[in-house]
Amino acid sequence: MKPAFSVIFFTVGSGAGLGLMFWLALSRFAHQGAASEQWWTAAIASAVLLTLGLLSSTAHLANPGNAWRAFSRFRTSWLSREGVFAVALYPVAALYLWAVYQQQYLLISILGAVLAVLAIAVLFSTAMIYACLKTIPRWNNWQTRLAFPLFGLMSGAVLLLAFVPQARPFAGPLAAGLLVLGGLLKLSYQKTFNKRDGQHYGINQALQPLRKQQAGDVRLLDPGHSSGTFLTQEFMFLLAREKATRIRALMWLLGFALPLGLVLLAPALAGFAAVLCLGGLLCERWLFFAEAQHVVRLYHGQRGV
Amino acid sequence: MKLGLVIDLDTCVGCHACAVACKEWNGQSLMAGGAPDYDTQGAEPSGVWFNRVRNFEVSPTASSGCSKTVNVPMSCMHCEDAACVTVCPTGASYKRAEDGIVLVDPEKCMGCNYCSWACPYGARELDQIKGTMRKCTLCVDRIYDQALPVEERQPACVLACPAHARHFGDFDDPTSRVAIMSKAREAEGMLPELGYKPVNRYLPPRAAPTIDVSGLESRTKSRPGLRDRLADTKLGQMINKMVSL
Repeated sequence: MKPAFSVIFFTVGSGAGLGLMFWLALSRFAHQGAASEQWWTAAIASAVLLTLGLLSSTAHLANPGNAWRAFSRFRTSWLSREGVFAVALYPVAALYLWAVYQQQYLLISILGAVLAVLAIAVLFSTAMIYACLKTIPRWNNWQTRLAFPLFGLMSGAVLLLAFVPQARPFAGPLAAGLLVLGGLLKLSYQKTFNKRDGQHYGINQALQPLRKQQAGDVRLLDPGHSSGTFLTQEFMFLLAREKATRIRALMWLLGFALPLGLVLLAPALAGFAAVLCLGGLLCERWLFFAEAQHVVRLYHGQRGV
Repeated sequence: MKLGLVIDLDTCVGCHACAVACKEWNGQSLMAGGAPDYDTQGAEPSGVWFNRVRNFEVSPTASSGCSKTVNVPMSCMHCEDAACVTVCPTGASYKRAEDGIVLVDPEKCMGCNYCSWACPYGARELDQIKGTMRKCTLCVDRIYDQALPVEERQPACVLACPAHARHFGDFDDPTSRVAIMSKAREAEGMLPELGYKPVNRYLPPRAAPTIDVSGLESRTKSRPGLRDRLADTKLGQMINKMVSL
């Protein structure tokens, strides 16, 4: 799939914002008294990240004038669900911040719980947008379902550590643990799918009607067009092997290894760790698109997807 | 009703007349929203096609001994379980209850491309000028048009096909031509594994009679031609050497 930077930026940015929001809401349960200045900075940062992400997501629409209609198919479309949850989150977040400011403890706990649930709902909907597509085997799996919520919570925890140093006893082990979990999930994804590329669906399945009569192998002679089409632009992205290797290394280093080292050994540099982690997740998301292969490739000359 | 196409892979000659007729009709169609072209006189001409014809080669098998070219036109399969409709967040993509035709309402589409990701057949293409999704309408603005003579109330691609490889009809009606044909020749849909239940059916190529060439081969082996026999003589070899200098 063609890696669209607006969507990469959106999923990483709003994911981190939602993760941070989740942990900020959770941290309030344990604390009585006024929220610290740092907590407020972090709260504003999470809202900014989420908003920038959502705005960037509209940049990939070819006809954004109709974007408001995207809330209308909540019952069937995960993309619609994501939009509804994301928009529902704003008034709750605003009320919640007011409750924190006023120190209304009952409201803080109720709205905090709602906010945390909504944040997870948005993250899971984003995951399902990709995971529900049977046409793209690299996305249609449990690893993808977990990846978006987990990577959001992971980068959110590193951001919490960066913004709120007082939360270190709680946020330090949390961030480290989530970085390890996130790394394990990515490792499982890479282990499973790097080997299976080209083995999910074959050309003989794509041309099922030829299967019975013709036992021979099928190959494309002519795709029927002389230069690119919408389909080749969208689905025929070719990932150079060397580039993939380099970006994978960058992802492991920036996204997981370096932030984990910094969180464990130099928590004072958590801000640096957060920047690295977000950079690593941008690489991760780029690969998520670039490595994914759509079954329509079978009709464009590829023998297996 | 379950309207759709039957495409005969045995008789399709791969002439692209269906694809061109489709563009001709739908380029003007308000229902389809148009089918624009880009860079038509430039180095990389491109455009939106609701129907694309691809040519495949089936490699020789032990029984046939010959390879076979199969032309495969592909357009929207009007799936019974259309994932493109399920995933659409705006409600622009819909499947009509009365006849099963899958359509896009250009007034509602926001151009997110999500439906094209859900489609395994590459049936949906974005109009990059208007920013909304395009697809085969099964010529919904022809097939019900009372102003047309009955025999012309068919999709443009079906009318254009010079090989009569395309047929249009109601698969729900067991007496319809498409239903009878697909039953008789064990027609199948593409990529059934995905479970979208495509309505369009493809009639598999008939097994062609094989020509027995075994006798021919043994004859040429036992009796080499005059040219080969001459070339084998001393004189022949000498002349060959001189000529090749």
